[in-house]
Amino acid sequence: MKPFALLFLATGLIVAQQSASKTPKVNFTDTTLDNGLRVIISEDHYAPVYAIAISYKVGSRDERKGRTGFAHLFEHMMFKGSENVGPGELDYLIYTNGGNMNGTTNTDRTLYYEVLPKNQLDLGLYLEADRMRGLVITGDNLENQRQAVKEERRLRVDNVPYGGEQEKMEELIYDNFAYHHSVIGSMQDLDAASVDDVKQFFKTYYAPNNAVVAIVGDVNTKETLAKVKKYFGTIARQEAPKPVDLTEPAKNGERRAKIDDPLARLARVDIAYRIPASNLADARALAVAAAILGGGGGGFGRGGGGGGGRSNSRLYQKLVEEKELAIQVSAGTDRRAGPSTFHVSATLRPGKKPEDAESLISEEIAKLHSEPVTAKELHRYQIGVKRAAEFRLTALSRAQALADDAALYNDPNRINTEIDQQLAVTPADIQKAVRAYLTASNRVVIDTLPTGGGSRSRGSRNQ
Amino acid sequence: MNKLLIAFLFTAAAFAQDDAQAPKSFRGMVRLNRAPVFNEVLRVKLPRPVEHTLVNGIKLLILESHRTPSISLTIAIPSSHLRDPVGLPGVAEATAAMMQLGTATRTARQISEDLADLGATLSISVGGGGGGRGGFAGGGGGDSGTIALSSLTENFDAALAILTDVLLHPSFPADEFEKWKSRQRSNIEQGRTSPNLLASELMAKVLYPGDPRQFTRATVESLNKITRDKLIEHYKTYYVPSGDWAGIAGEITPRDAVAKLDKALGAWKGGPVERLSLPIRAPIADKKVYLIPRPNSVQTYLVLTNRAIDRNSPDYVACMVMNQVLGSGPAARLFRIIREEKGYTYGISSSFSASHTQQHFISATSVRTEVTEPALADTLKEFREIREVTVPKEELEAAKHALVGSFAMVLENPAGVLGRWLQQREYGLPEDYWDTYPEKVMAITAADVQRVAKKYVPYDNVQIIAVGDGAKIRGLLKKFGPVEEIAPDAQ
Repeated sequence: MKPFALLFLATGLIVAQQSASKTPKVNFTDTTLDNGLRVIISEDHYAPVYAIAISYKVGSRDERKGRTGFAHLFEHMMFKGSENVGPGELDYLIYTNGGNMNGTTNTDRTLYYEVLPKNQLDLGLYLEADRMRGLVITGDNLENQRQAVKEERRLRVDNVPYGGEQEKMEELIYDNFAYHHSVIGSMQDLDAASVDDVKQFFKTYYAPNNAVVAIVGDVNTKETLAKVKKYFGTIARQEAPKPVDLTEPAKNGERRAKIDDPLARLARVDIAYRIPASNLADARALAVAAAILGGGGGGFGRGGGGGGGRSNSRLYQKLVEEKELAIQVSAGTDRRAGPSTFHVSATLRPGKKPEDAESLISEEIAKLHSEPVTAKELHRYQIGVKRAAEFRLTALSRAQALADDAALYNDPNRINTEIDQQLAVTPADIQKAVRAYLTASNRVVIDTLPTGGGSRSRGSRNQ
Repeated sequence: MNKLLIAFLFTAAAFAQDDAQAPKSFRGMVRLNRAPVFNEVLRVKLPRPVEHTLVNGIKLLILESHRTPSISLTIAIPSSHLRDPVGLPGVAEATAAMMQLGTATRTARQISEDLADLGATLSISVGGGGGGRGGFAGGGGGDSGTIALSSLTENFDAALAILTDVLLHPSFPADEFEKWKSRQRSNIEQGRTSPNLLASELMAKVLYPGDPRQFTRATVESLNKITRDKLIEHYKTYYVPSGDWAGIAGEITPRDAVAKLDKALGAWKGGPVERLSLPIRAPIADKKVYLIPRPNSVQTYLVLTNRAIDRNSPDYVACMVMNQVLGSGPAARLFRIIREEKGYTYGISSSFSASHTQQHFISATSVRTEVTEPALADTLKEFREIREVTVPKEELEAAKHALVGSFAMVLENPAGVLGRWLQQREYGLPEDYWDTYPEKVMAITAADVQRVAKKYVPYDNVQIIAVGDGAKIRGLLKKFGPVEEIAPDAQ
């Protein structure tokens, strides 16, 4: 056991040096209005702009069977007009006043944002409050947004190589319906959505007590809070929606599927493991393992990118450089508020076999079980984390983080604590988490094979 | 106090709306006019960088900023895919890639690991516009190649030493070159499935026939012919200071920046290299449709394009205002009508690619196969509308407001501010170009908009590229012009 002890000592020293992160602390106020709306305000006078982000505690996990894709379709409806704002007027007012805006839906929450010059504070608050108070819901609006969303699905899923892989993976890795289906939803379910569905969804989930609003930028806290009270304070609270049970039954065997993909030219192997919610220590340790295994290739925070699209990750060195089996590899963890996934992907060169790639990936996973990661690997991960923080300093980035962390984890201060927790992960933490979760019986393997025709997918469960 | 704050200027009531006329609704949008809008545009002034000429002739712009504990450096070089030898597309691309795959004292892996240990990134991009290549931020196409380094302040010296090694002592190892070529062959195969890539390659051939701009990337054929010697030749000729611009932004004083770069790059000499000069040609006169069949496609990717303006065109600002009305972002006509009203697509926009060498207008969208015909017809209807009908005053003023108002957003990003000044230098624009940009925008009239729309938004001479299910769209495309079919693997 001696070599281990020495290694830990060396790593400890590096961590101590690393932890002197220079990222400035984000100060904020955290207030809850009488109607239950949580309001977070953070002043930052660097540039004359501000961002407003509203995170509603509703995502695809709240959808029922037969209505997959509905939370996202609903997000589109939020741009089609409210009591005092005409259809398309919100986009128009934001852009013509120099700002930008959007909405985004994931499994756990739906977020809307605007970024505007500081002199348009009332405008952003008014527009968000008006659509929280009363959405105008018509059949025509639903119909054209249904079409836009179906185009979005075609663009991202049905018309691209490997587009069906993620949906298949979600079906196989989750048994609880909450995460068992995709955010974008099926064409059939999108077609089934009705105006009544939209009205009911709005009443249930788009209430002040089910939302967090964060305002960050060149604003005065006191004045801003007064304006928030003026615009949002009279919106009625609703009965709190029932929390969704996200618990998954234990997985008891490997699951596999093959996808025949007429749009792909190269085979691809995808392997995923079910892991804990992303705010838990094991998930954080597994994120480091993923970065060391298959991160990098240019980006920060994923294991240290190098030059020219090269990566220093273990899988890149093995599959792309040494064996020349793949042209591309990646590994990562997703960030769900409930059970998450650890995934590995390799796109193969022409003529190479998926089973060969799979066995090399399995060997590398086994190494993570048997040996702690090196101090050098951990150092590269840590410096990547610090650099990634530089790109999250914009008013918008901070507003989104504060709103989401408060909505999903009841902890807006994660914006200050999460980096230090990532920097504190040790090789022992990683090995413990790898041994607990990256096991054969806990994984799903999907091979995507290029084909000119044939059925699009076939799955099997080997339990 | 940070320096950016001092630079703000507030001009009251400069662009207040005309209250005599209540704001109107436009097609695809209903205005209720109840939301509180502050009627003055927040005007800001971009902070100016310090300029200094280095010993090797490089003109360095320095923008000190303490927003993040980091420094980023961008150096322009004359390398460009437009300088590839005739019949050998990919030499500049291969040279850029190989620069980071070995020096006299470092292997490819050592370069990559040394950078990762410092948390630094080094990237070398090929100039010449087209598919995501180099150029300064906001440079509109990027004529120059660039070498870009970014690191933590505390590691900048060490990172700069790696850049110097890569730039002055590349070894172009033969084994790494073969491995790179092998990866590129697989990447090219993979790219044959991407509608956007297929269309952008064809567009270059359609708009710029007979000159280097028609070749956007290496082909399987050229990969077999490119030798290591060609790379070394390209490196010796085009990886030179040549009096070009460099920019540095971040936690560094002008004095330190000059001292460090003179020391690191003092030995880097060479040039000058003559500026690339490619013709600015008139738009293509006759309508034409190109079909790239993509079996099993459930959408048609549509590109509507023609040659237009370069960055120094006197029509540039008018084109920006016109495009703000037509196709820039969710408040523009194309989005409001083609997506929000008709529901044909998830997204549609239009833009000008305007640099020294890229000079075209482009609008692109993906639509489900079944609505290919109405989507094309309705997009062209919008093109005709902006050419034939005077833009309503309200819509014009709003577009101008958008362009001027969005300037405040740039101030969040020091590298973006620096990029604007580098653009001003690269295109020889007047010293006060960005200070007076709002006035230039506000001076554009509805007649200006219509004039540039008629000149540069293609209608009777539109070049259409459609990538989709050939069996289903071949016939209908004939309604839009003579059709030429190009096989996806034709390259």
